[in-house]
Amino acid sequence: MKAKEGVVDFLNKVVTMELTAVHQYLLHASLCANWGYERLQHEFHELAKEELAHASKVIGHILYLEGAPDVQKLGTVSSGRSVPDLFQADLRFEQDDVTLLRDAIAHCAKVGDFTTRHQLEDMVVETEKHVDWFETQLRAIKQVGLENYLSEQIKK
Amino acid sequence: MKAKEGVINLLNKILTADLTAINQYFVHAKMCENWGYERLHHHIRKRAFDEMKDAEELIEHILYLEGVPNMQRLGTVHVGETVPEQFKADLKAEQEMLAILSEGVNHCTKVGDFTTRHMLEDMVKDVDEHIDWIETQQELIKQVGLENYLSEQIRKEE
Repeated sequence: MKAKEGVVDFLNKVVTMELTAVHQYLLHASLCANWGYERLQHEFHELAKEELAHASKVIGHILYLEGAPDVQKLGTVSSGRSVPDLFQADLRFEQDDVTLLRDAIAHCAKVGDFTTRHQLEDMVVETEKHVDWFETQLRAIKQVGLENYLSEQIKK
Repeated sequence: MKAKEGVINLLNKILTADLTAINQYFVHAKMCENWGYERLHHHIRKRAFDEMKDAEELIEHILYLEGVPNMQRLGTVHVGETVPEQFKADLKAEQEMLAILSEGVNHCTKVGDFTTRHMLEDMVKDVDEHIDWIETQQELIKQVGLENYLSEQIRKEE
């Protein structure tokens, strides 16, 4: 299957985004482990695995479209000195991810690649769930206070 | 725990090699899937997940030593256009990994960080096993011919 114009470019941008997310979540999982927040470590670990699965799916789709997957690029990996810092960085990251996916979906509609669009739509659903999760955590911190929130994260 | 001199730098070097390997194995696994080599797809994919586990262990150990893990670096990913080229690229990556790990083990001995050395030695064992696996595949290709070898990769073993 040959790809329509610009589709592989968009998909490669998505790959970069997903691979950057893997790095960021692996780092955040380990930071939480180091701080003693086992529950959050587990959450971040699952996120990293999910992003890797996304990357894998997109790479597979690029090959299916007879394109060359680009795994050499890496976006900016954000770190933080506290749990709320990490959440803020991750929320921003996921929001950017949603924007990119929406642009890609719009492009696929324009050039008539509905298979790719369908795949990206599944991904945008997942990504919006991530945005929601981070928003929920930040809101919970506001409502119960950071100390109470964090003490709930010590055990998985 | 504060790290001994040079240990964090070494661990970050290994981390970069690991993160690069994840990307390389993922692309190779997917290419094999695309070509219809289910067995290779499965094997190489598992390897990518192994590398991810190693990366996590390294990141945690760097933090344990109160260092800063560098997630921002990525080495050169070598993508092979055919199965034998993939093996060649992976073998080279693993041999380079082995060289860095050996350097790490020696350095840890010198500065007396035996915990880190022990962890690196476990990783050396994995890398050795993988090098052996790739060499076996290359030797097989030589002995049975590429076509016969590849036809055996179409189905995943039970």
